Amino acid sequence: MSKKQVSRRQFLNYTLTGVGGFMAAGMLAPMVRFAIDPVLKPSASGEMHPVVEVSKITNTPQRFEWEVKQQDAWYESMVQKSAWVYVDKNDEIVALSPICTHLGCVVDWSSNEQYPDQFYCPCHGGRYTKDGVNVPGTPPTAPLPIYEHKVEEDMLYLGRAHDRGGGV
Amino acid sequence: MQWNKEDISLFMGAKEYIDTLIVPLIPFDPSVEHGLKEQAFQSELLGLFMREIDKEFKGRVLLSPEYYYIEDNREQEIPRINSWCEKFQQQPFEHLFLFTFDVKWKRLDKDLTGELIWLPGRKNGSLQSSETISFVKEQTSQITEMIRSYW
Repeated sequence: MSKKQVSRRQFLNYTLTGVGGFMAAGMLAPMVRFAIDPVLKPSASGEMHPVVEVSKITNTPQRFEWEVKQQDAWYESMVQKSAWVYVDKNDEIVALSPICTHLGCVVDWSSNEQYPDQFYCPCHGGRYTKDGVNVPGTPPTAPLPIYEHKVEEDMLYLGRAHDRGGGV
Repeated sequence: MQWNKEDISLFMGAKEYIDTLIVPLIPFDPSVEHGLKEQAFQSELLGLFMREIDKEFKGRVLLSPEYYYIEDNREQEIPRINSWCEKFQQQPFEHLFLFTFDVKWKRLDKDLTGELIWLPGRKNGSLQSSETISFVKEQTSQITEMIRSYW
């Protein structure tokens, strides 16, 4: 039974590689962690809230409300959100923010007899077509923001509203 | 729009669009102990109403700071309330509403510069209860309709 001889050089090589490997790993691990950090975070827009069962959504826009928690520097509060929700011609669900892009009043669907197929703002007569695009010549200068949405188990979830910018 | 920095700066930039002012009139009388709870509750409730109206009509209605008064001498308050209204009229505001749960103002209605709107309130309850919430919602939809009829 002959023991395998390990030379001094080999021994030093092994130990140095080992220790060096640990040091490199120690340095790299936090770097990798930082690099993939954004992936691990739930996406900022990620919070979706259940709003209504899909079966209740029709071709005519309906206003639905839900609550979200909002935290500012001083206290946490429940904020009511609402949206105009309908199914468009391509069977896609559309959820529009009801906040007029002019000065922030709440717009109504078809509340003005002269414009039965438009969103109408009671404050200054701003109007939007069904897809939420502002009608030129009325005060608003941008379309109504659209909510992110997803459907899970027959429930509509809404996330953040996104400005569409520009407009007509 | 509410009486805070953010809304007021929006107001300054869009003055020509904001022509309606609401002053909440809130009574209190710290010398009469049994009424305090009710007064505090009503003051909170009126605040809720104001917040709901602000949500609907943010772009055309400004909420003034609350007007608090001692309950037993309403007559003496009239010149002061009117001076508030006149100051606001210089902005100019076309429609001035005074919102209150205090029914005793009704009798003094004609002496007030603003339009007095008496709201049927509640004496007691919880602001979080579903009862109060639906009460406020229902009333708000009627109040907003009333305001629109003035525009």
